[in-house]
Amino acid sequence: MPETSTTSPTPSRAVARPVSEALLNEKWDLCLSNALIKSTLGLGFGVVFSVLLFKRRAWPAFVGAGFGAGRAYEECNFSLKQAAKEIKKQA
Amino acid sequence: MLRTSIRSVRALGSRPVTAAAGRQWQIAAARRVTVSGQRSYADNKKPSIADSTPAVLPSSETLTSPSTPPPPPPQTVPTSTISPEEAPLTPPPAAPPAAPATPPPPPPPSQPRRKGGFFRKLRNYFLTLTLLGALGFGGGVWYSRINDNFHDFFTEYIPYGEQAVLYLEELDFRKRFPNAVNKVRARDAGEQVKIPAQSGASWRVADSGEPAGRQSSALSKVAAVKEAVKPKKEPVVEVKKEAAPKVVEAKEPAKVVPTPVVAEVKEVTPAPVAAAVSAPKKKPFKAPEVDEPSRWPPSSPIDPLAIQDAAEPVVQDLVRMLNDIITVVNHDGANDKYGATIGKAKNELNKVGRKIRDIKAAVEKDAAKQIKLRVDDFDRAANELVSRIEGAMSAQETQWRHEFEAEMERVKKSYDEKVKLIQDRERKLGEEKASNRLLEQAVELQRQFARDVKKHVEEERDGRLSKLQDLAAAVIDLEKLTTGWNDVVDTNLRTQQLHVAVDAVRASLEDSQHPRPFIKELVALKEIASEDPVVDAAIASINPSAYQRGISTSAELVDRFRRVATEVRKASLLPEDAGVASHASSYVLSKLLFKKQGLAAGDDVESILTRTQTYLEEGDLDNAAREMNGLSGWAKTLSRDWMGEVRKVLEVQQALEVIQAEARLQSLKVE
Repeated sequence: MPETSTTSPTPSRAVARPVSEALLNEKWDLCLSNALIKSTLGLGFGVVFSVLLFKRRAWPAFVGAGFGAGRAYEECNFSLKQAAKEIKKQA
Repeated sequence: MLRTSIRSVRALGSRPVTAAAGRQWQIAAARRVTVSGQRSYADNKKPSIADSTPAVLPSSETLTSPSTPPPPPPQTVPTSTISPEEAPLTPPPAAPPAAPATPPPPPPPSQPRRKGGFFRKLRNYFLTLTLLGALGFGGGVWYSRINDNFHDFFTEYIPYGEQAVLYLEELDFRKRFPNAVNKVRARDAGEQVKIPAQSGASWRVADSGEPAGRQSSALSKVAAVKEAVKPKKEPVVEVKKEAAPKVVEAKEPAKVVPTPVVAEVKEVTPAPVAAAVSAPKKKPFKAPEVDEPSRWPPSSPIDPLAIQDAAEPVVQDLVRMLNDIITVVNHDGANDKYGATIGKAKNELNKVGRKIRDIKAAVEKDAAKQIKLRVDDFDRAANELVSRIEGAMSAQETQWRHEFEAEMERVKKSYDEKVKLIQDRERKLGEEKASNRLLEQAVELQRQFARDVKKHVEEERDGRLSKLQDLAAAVIDLEKLTTGWNDVVDTNLRTQQLHVAVDAVRASLEDSQHPRPFIKELVALKEIASEDPVVDAAIASINPSAYQRGISTSAELVDRFRRVATEVRKASLLPEDAGVASHASSYVLSKLLFKKQGLAAGDDVESILTRTQTYLEEGDLDNAAREMNGLSGWAKTLSRDWMGEVRKVLEVQQALEVIQAEARLQSLKVE
């Protein structure tokens, strides 16, 4: 998870500089990819746990996916709010 | 103690020499060594006095008191009744006195108890006082035997202290050496007063005859000698008195000299004469006395009579002769025979002496007279001398006065001359000064005249020169005009070039389909402008990125605006602090918004965008930029790049317009 988060901002910046109108789209792309990766990771962990510990029950997998999605959502939210703060500062 | 012993030894020379020597030796040893031997012994005296022999010290003390000691021993011995009791031991004799003193005190206190009364009290008081005194005295005596320092103090300051101590010491000594004491006693008993009278070396060794006769004769002789000496002394004094004036009166030394010489002779002679007389006289006296006492002595007294006139040598010789004769007669025993003749001769001699004396007196008188005369002469001469000297002095004084006056006059004259000279010089100086001043004035006047002339000439010249200067000024003006025209032509050319350059820039901007750098055109324009401040400022206002990368055309701007507008519309409904949810909702809801047309009124994002689009379509970039600048938040952030592009274009356009206006202005200026 940390690896993905660290890699995501660099391309966004690179892209954000040339065009200002693509700033928001960039963020959205990042958020979506982040959500996908994290939810899949959470799902994977959940599946593994369900197989190993919970006798192949379904809920651990959902819980894992939910954790991942929640995590991604939080990060996206944070990045957007940070951007808004920066805009405020600039204004 | 030691000191007192020394004193005693010195005082009594009659003491045995050996004892004194012993004492001295001991003292010397004590002083030299200063070892504790003697000292310690003195300290140890109390316990073991009987053993030690140094009783020499007490013995010495006994000797020192020759006058007092003999009586006290018998008295004190009975008083010290206690001594018999403790006698066998012969311990410190000082101790016994202390012992008896102590017992008596008890009785006195018992007496006052019985009766009261003033007399009794007084008596008791005196009794106690005497008792205490006796006690103190006894104690002092006892302690003085022990302590040397105290002994010195006691013997010196306490009356009868020394006697008491000496007595005690003597007692002690006697007890220790009874034989020695006896000897001492015997010697003490011998009369000491006689010894000084007989002692001393006597002039006569063999004869021990009657002293009375001899003494009487000696006395008379001494008196005679004294008498003889006295008269001789007087002349000496006289001589001295005369000697003083002699020095003052240097004129008559011849007369005075003889007298002192005579006096000296007299002085010299009498002494031996007297001796001679005395010496022979003594022996003649003795002889007759041995043979026939009291018979011939009268014959000898005759001789002294001759001494009165014996001053003269002649008389002295005669007397000597007579004396010799007398002695011879005496020896022969023929006194009876020659008595009368010798008597006559004596008388004659006396007469001769008297005569001589008379003669002398006469001579002295004459001499005195002569001296007086001489003194008078001298006084006169002195007076004359004084008067002469005074005359000479007065003459000299007058002479000096004359000289002084003459000198004064001479000095006065010389000073007068000097004063005159100075006055002349001053006058000359004043005249010269005056002439100088006059010359200066003349010179000044000449100068002024020259100046006046010059001024006049100049004025006239100026009148002509001014016209020439006017002509020159006119020529210069003409030249300026020509140069000004040249400038005008130059500036005209330059403005034309500027116009061309500006047109080239504009053309390069408008012709291109894509953004293209127009830096070359701008450089050319700057060169042509030749540091025109306005042009420079205009070029400086352009963003460097604009001419380095070129600016986008209006078509491109419009195309890009369409993309930006869609993005801005997506974020048009975003709240202030938007999260993911609000973004998503605004994205979804923005699609549902109606699109406006034309110049829509309202401050919302949609209407602003519509207005901008309209302006863009009209080609009004400036207004479009203004509208877009009114956006805020995410919308502004999204449209930032587009705004930058538009601003660059606008800047370039404005700069070009300014340059063009400047060029036009310059062209107008020239005309």
